[in-house]
Amino acid sequence: MLLQTQLPQWTALGPALILAITALVLFVIDSVDPDSTDSALLAGVSVVGTLAALGVAAWFLAAGTGQVGTGGEITLFRDALVVDGMSLFFTAIFTSVAAMVFVASYDYLKDRPDQAEFYSLVLLATTGMALLASSNSLATAFISLELTSLPSYALVAYLKRNRGSVEAGLKYFLIGALSSSVFVFGISLVYAVTGSLLFSDVASALGDLDQSFRGVAGIGVLMIAGGFAFKTASVPFHFWAPEAYEGAPAPVSAFLSSASKAAGFAVAFRVFVEAFPIATAVDLGIDWVLAFGILAVVTMTLGNFAAATQENVKRMLAYSSIGHAGYVLIGLAALSAGAATNGDVLGASMAHLLVYGFMNTGAFLFVALVEHWGVGRTFEDYNGLAERAPMACAAMTVFMFSLAGLPPFGGFFSKYFLFASAIGAGFWWLAAFGALNSALSLFYYSRVVKAMWIEESDGSFELTSRPIGLYAAIMVAAVGTLVLLPGFGPVIETAQTVAAALFG
Amino acid sequence: MNPWIAIGALAVVGVGIPLGMMAASAILRPSVPEQGKSAIYESGEIPTGTARIQFNIQYYMVALLFVVFDIETVLIFPWTVIYRSALEQGVSLGAVLAPMLVFIGILVVGLVWAWRNGAVKWVKSPRASRRKTERQS
Amino acid sequence: MVPAQWYLMLSAAIFCIGLFGILTRRNALLFLMSVELMLNAANVNFIAFSLQWGNVTGQTFALFTMALAAAEVAIGIGIILVLYRNFRDTDVTKATTMRW
Repeated sequence: MLLQTQLPQWTALGPALILAITALVLFVIDSVDPDSTDSALLAGVSVVGTLAALGVAAWFLAAGTGQVGTGGEITLFRDALVVDGMSLFFTAIFTSVAAMVFVASYDYLKDRPDQAEFYSLVLLATTGMALLASSNSLATAFISLELTSLPSYALVAYLKRNRGSVEAGLKYFLIGALSSSVFVFGISLVYAVTGSLLFSDVASALGDLDQSFRGVAGIGVLMIAGGFAFKTASVPFHFWAPEAYEGAPAPVSAFLSSASKAAGFAVAFRVFVEAFPIATAVDLGIDWVLAFGILAVVTMTLGNFAAATQENVKRMLAYSSIGHAGYVLIGLAALSAGAATNGDVLGASMAHLLVYGFMNTGAFLFVALVEHWGVGRTFEDYNGLAERAPMACAAMTVFMFSLAGLPPFGGFFSKYFLFASAIGAGFWWLAAFGALNSALSLFYYSRVVKAMWIEESDGSFELTSRPIGLYAAIMVAAVGTLVLLPGFGPVIETAQTVAAALFG
Repeated sequence: MNPWIAIGALAVVGVGIPLGMMAASAILRPSVPEQGKSAIYESGEIPTGTARIQFNIQYYMVALLFVVFDIETVLIFPWTVIYRSALEQGVSLGAVLAPMLVFIGILVVGLVWAWRNGAVKWVKSPRASRRKTERQS
Repeated sequence: MVPAQWYLMLSAAIFCIGLFGILTRRNALLFLMSVELMLNAANVNFIAFSLQWGNVTGQTFALFTMALAAAEVAIGIGIILVLYRNFRDTDVTKATTMRW
């Protein structure tokens, strides 16, 4: 209403611009004083920039910028970028996760050299995610995907004297480089048969495609799906995730497993819904809905079964993150051509990603806190932790039960809506697999809770410090997870409205 | 006529001329083998050691900066192609220049950062300089 | 004009050579070179079909791919460098402190 007429069009990209400028400001600060280890300044600037971006995104979302009621989506740069409700919704997820990660990093990185690099890399990756959510052409999708990935590789290998971190960085990089070359080859094949990279043009060109080219188009679509599978840590490009999340510094794991995954889904939703519309794709014999259905089931089953066998908490969370990617994939798997339920399904997936952003970031930040204390990494090492740090452990309990989808927490509603919408769309088998897997996941999530609250501590560790930043970030995540229970109504409503706009 | 015939002829001539010249000189010249002729030519210097050595890792940073600015020119190139015609079609100078100035500005921030953080500073390791003096004495 | 299928076969062949390199080489640097080969296979497609369709979208995308390939190499060599410092080797199968 207001914004579309009063502000120039390019301001719709405000959140991404603020993030990019903040990253550059950090570079300038570091250029002025390269040897500074002033974490308060660096973390402060990053948090202020991220919160400003979050504020702008939330304001635009509330004011209806780019939504149907106010004149529809805003396209910029000859339709290469688009700002609509979905891109703003996802930008809000990325910036909230990034803000929590920054607050936590204040303690985690204290007294390390190269802090400015850490903050600016995370900011650049967040910029890439914000652009990814609003890319409307395969070119911008690829470039912003790389802008997200490249800083992530460096961030995973950030602890350059730690063998685990370097090894994780290497594996993440190798698989990332492979998948990005597969992705770009897929784009080149789609360009070969359609002659355009804009989603809408690709869709219309696919509509009247010569049947003899459908093999090339099919391989292209398959390869593009592979690129997204990497970014979202889904089968078949999932095997980097446990290594990368375990080896990386815990705030980076939190960032990757929440924000980066959401970014991958953001662009996957848009590409598959807009560039390869279901009806057209099925006519050509490229039934990606079925492919995603199979991938969803395999991903969630594999993630949850592997998580159940882990001894290391961080690795368990990594596998559980793969499992959650499987749940979110339902959003792409329970679609059908022209169905009225499509918006509900996709919106439920987006809402789940928002809740997941809070609870999963919180869980990884708790692991960061435990690493900061120097307590070990396995379930046994967590024994009796609740006696020493009841506040943090209570928060961790909230995250665990919320991840499992137990009723009094945010994760319950998001999962409930996701499975209910899948059943509503006639894909009851997806919901059944999801529910079975959730039941299994309760087993390993509750192991953490049991270790913290019930098991006796062997008394070998001392908790010397109470890091303010880490505590604050964990509390914000916990409050977010709890507030999303009563506040889930508006969230799911917004998500389903903006998702329905995508099919309009 | 098939255009490929012209290309094929060009290729035959291109390969044939140097081969022919080498063959002709090999037949005509007297053969006087000598040690100085088969030695490695290093601009008059007497060669020391093999070429298969490990280079100093600090060249890596220089190479990296080179790659960044090499690619920068690639991205400037399309802009220069449309620059003049855009001006002729009445696009304002600011609108044409601004995107490229922003692009270069971002790169300058990066370069200044790399410079200030010692990316182009040559650090002499004590071990390497000791070895060098040993070799000279 | 050369038929479109030939370009597709050329690019597919380059892509497969790159993929073969990735699957068989254990040196991280050779892995990186193979990835470059795969990216350039995509570039062949982009430029060839830019000609076929008569628009420059493909050509500009090829420029972006080149720039991103360079950035990827820069990051990749940095990671391989710290790998060498920590493990004294660039063999990707040597780095196994965590089990797969």
